[in-house]
Amino acid sequence: MSHALSFEDIELGDELSESHPDVSMAAVTKFCHAAKHLFERFIDHEAARAEGFAGAIVPGIMSQGLLAAMVHRWAPGCIIKNIDTVFRGSLLVDSEIVMTGAVTDTDEAQRRIELDLTIIAEDGRTGVIGTATVEFPE
Amino acid sequence: MGNAEAPVELGAVRDRWVGVEFDWASFDMRVEDMVAWAKACGEQDPRFTDPDHTDFQAHPGFTTHCMSGRVLPDDFPQIGGGFGIDGGKNVQVHAPIRAGDTLHATTTIADVFDKTGRSGTMIFIVQRMEFRNDEGELVSTVDWKMIKKA
Repeated sequence: MSHALSFEDIELGDELSESHPDVSMAAVTKFCHAAKHLFERFIDHEAARAEGFAGAIVPGIMSQGLLAAMVHRWAPGCIIKNIDTVFRGSLLVDSEIVMTGAVTDTDEAQRRIELDLTIIAEDGRTGVIGTATVEFPE
Repeated sequence: MGNAEAPVELGAVRDRWVGVEFDWASFDMRVEDMVAWAKACGEQDPRFTDPDHTDFQAHPGFTTHCMSGRVLPDDFPQIGGGFGIDGGKNVQVHAPIRAGDTLHATTTIADVFDKTGRSGTMIFIVQRMEFRNDEGELVSTVDWKMIKKA
């Protein structure tokens, strides 16, 4: 049985397990309803193409939420104090995307770490990059 | 073309607008939306998916969907072309947001700057929303980077 990751377990350079989140039309539509973000470019492939996209795109704020959930799965009970994402390119709905992360700094006094976060699109482009500050309660 | 406008001096824009509040709004934190948001993001931690959990709270980025009534102040100068694109969001989590909270948001311009790269000069306008609960406690700060072609 695995144990919850603690601050003491973490070292600079540690990598989060690769994650393949669900960005199907059903999942994105559910998110858009919760976010009151019901724009056609997110929930209708044809409408998105008419706007010049290759298909419906994953909302940027959802991609940030996907990354936050990945951090919580990696370190259950941790507290995300800050998450900063840069939207570099479109992530398509109904595509396969890959999320990764790595520890770039640790602060023993505050029991906090810094993470680099990335989402890669199905065609290999970098869709989102970001950082997070994560605290581990005693 | 004959309609070129004088370039806007970003330093003057910063001096005039950074820190000036220009929009105020309130948002109700509904449990159904908090749970649906977290689950749609693949969240499995019951702190965010189970309203009966003793520490149930909103997912870290939940306030990013709360939009101010105005994107920019009414008198903000036209900088760059078009509406711009969403360059990303930076969320600071100061305290848990609970179901049933009403959050009161104030919106300011946090920064205006430019960067030059391979595709030319881009202008970044950072809109900041600060969210406080009914007790006046700051719970979340969201910085939204709007990017425009210079």
